[in-house]
Amino acid sequence: MSKNILVTGVSQGLGLAIAESILAAGWNVYGVSRRHSPEYAALQEKFPGRVHFHAFDLAGVDAVKEDLFGKFLPFSTPLHGYVNNAAMAYDDIVTNLDAGRLRAMYDVNVFTPMMATKYAIRHMLFNRVAGSIVHISSISVHTGYKGLAMYASTKGALEAFSKNTAREWGERGVRSNCLVAGFMETAMSGKLTEEQRQRIYNRTALKQATKLGSVADTVVFLLGDGAASVTGQNIFVDSGTI
Amino acid sequence: MNEKLVTIINEVRANKQQPPLNDLCASSRLREDVGLESLDLAELTVRIEEKFGVDVFADGLVHTIGEIEAKIARVKA
Repeated sequence: MSKNILVTGVSQGLGLAIAESILAAGWNVYGVSRRHSPEYAALQEKFPGRVHFHAFDLAGVDAVKEDLFGKFLPFSTPLHGYVNNAAMAYDDIVTNLDAGRLRAMYDVNVFTPMMATKYAIRHMLFNRVAGSIVHISSISVHTGYKGLAMYASTKGALEAFSKNTAREWGERGVRSNCLVAGFMETAMSGKLTEEQRQRIYNRTALKQATKLGSVADTVVFLLGDGAASVTGQNIFVDSGTI
Repeated sequence: MNEKLVTIINEVRANKQQPPLNDLCASSRLREDVGLESLDLAELTVRIEEKFGVDVFADGLVHTIGEIEAKIARVKA
């Protein structure tokens, strides 16, 4: 059976890789991002009618209902999965913490995804779909890295939210899991120096960056029927952090 | 009674394998009389919103069918 999956942050990096894996599984992607990208447009050309796009800025916490769901995902389009992938990183040491930048990051990483979860579940209730929610979390929640305290705290919030969502909605068949990703070669970690990168990779069993494709394929597993009994979990895809 | 509302309520009950209720009135309490729990009320909210365009629980708790009807009437007016 085909599935319709909402994915945020599809224009590049991990979101794009997740979209590719969803399409490879034979499902449809409802992708949102601030901007369209040539890479996503190429997917739309390659899979006609299966790759949808809606420009949406995740800073818009109050626009989730009317814009994201009202315009892009009406009840007439059954929703089988929601992948909360888009995020921003505000990196600094704690003593430099700026409240405005912290709030902006919480809007994008936590508040908008929580509102989107609200409407995704409502959507699933309406269409009686046993849907799957996957939040992309980060290994920084579990290990700690200098400069990532604020960012990690947003992902930790999602892990707690996911666990409780799973408990609350399990009896309606709705599942919620977090994929705890290790450091990947994406724009988000682009500011790290080569030395910082190597130090991080050396803290993993595989001594290498986490592969986008591995994360993306695990997201597809969590969305699919093979994961029908998996909920409330944190699944680590991180090259084996030690 | 608003017939569409009765249909929606019985749709939610049917999903719990409960028989339809034909004696609903404005004073019927959603939990005690209609037998709906919090997750059922969430489904009820969604179905009412889809049909009438109002999120009946958005501004606080609703206890009876009459309170839902009043909110629907307010939107229509």
